[in-house]
Amino acid sequence: MHVLGILLPDSHLARHALQNFFGIGPKIAHRVCARMQIHDRCKVRDLTQQQQTALTAFLSSPTTYPVPQRVPLASLDFKGPTPSKPLLPSPPARPVSQVGSKDPLSTLKIETELRKEIRDNIQHQRMIGSYVGRRHAAHLPVRGQRTRTNAKIAKRLNSVERRL
Amino acid sequence: MHATLVALGGRSAWKGPFFVNFPRLREAMDKNIPIKTQARACTILPNFVGCRFLVHNGKEYLPVSITQDMVGHKLGEFAQTRKRFKYKSTKNR
Repeated sequence: MHVLGILLPDSHLARHALQNFFGIGPKIAHRVCARMQIHDRCKVRDLTQQQQTALTAFLSSPTTYPVPQRVPLASLDFKGPTPSKPLLPSPPARPVSQVGSKDPLSTLKIETELRKEIRDNIQHQRMIGSYVGRRHAAHLPVRGQRTRTNAKIAKRLNSVERRL
Repeated sequence: MHATLVALGGRSAWKGPFFVNFPRLREAMDKNIPIKTQARACTILPNFVGCRFLVHNGKEYLPVSITQDMVGHKLGEFAQTRKRFKYKSTKNR
C-alpha cells in the first residue's frame, strides 16, 4: 500500500509501517493509530478502506485534519450509586477544556514540510551569524563534540543546505 | 513544544530568560556607543535591537550589532572564542 508516495509494506504492523514517514517515530505512530482507531497488532493489509482513506487524508495535511469529538462516557456531574461504606475522597476532576488543550497531532509536520522547517532553522542561524550557523557552514559538529578524530557524520551532512 | 519553552531553551518558565541589566543601554543606543561586556550568557532582549555591543571572547572584545533576528539568542553566540586552525610552515629549522 502506498500513501503519498511512501510504501507501507503489507506484511508490517501498521504502527511500524507509519514510521517510514520522515517525522513519524514510535510515539507519533502510536498516536496516529489511536486517532484512526487502528488496533495494536493490525497489519497494513488488514486496514479497512475507511481507515486507509482516513490515514491518507490525515497525512496529507495533519494540521487541518479535524480533531475528533470527545465523547465522555458519563456526564461530569454523574453520581454513582452510594456505596455501603464511605470511600476515600477523590481528587477534583480536571475541566474538560484543559484535558485536550495540547494535541501534538494538530501541529505535526512530516516529509517535505519538516525538511523545509529544519533547513529554514539552519538558514536562520547562518544568516544572523551565530556559532551554530558557522559550524554548519564549516561542516563541523555543532554541539561541542570532538573534531580531532571522528566527526564523520558532521563532515558528511552538516552544511547550510543540510542533507536530510 | 510549548512556545515559551522554545524561547527559554529549556529553562523553567517561572524564572524567565537570563539577562544582565545594562544600566546605560538607553544612553548607548542614543549616542551609538558600543557597550563593552563580558556577559556572554545574557539573552538578547527585544529592547537591545539596534544597539551595538563589544562582547568578550576570552581575549578581546568583538563588535556585535544586534538585529531583530537575533532576539532570543545569547550574546556569546556572536563572538567566536576559537581561531580557525591554519598550518604555519616553520621558518627556522
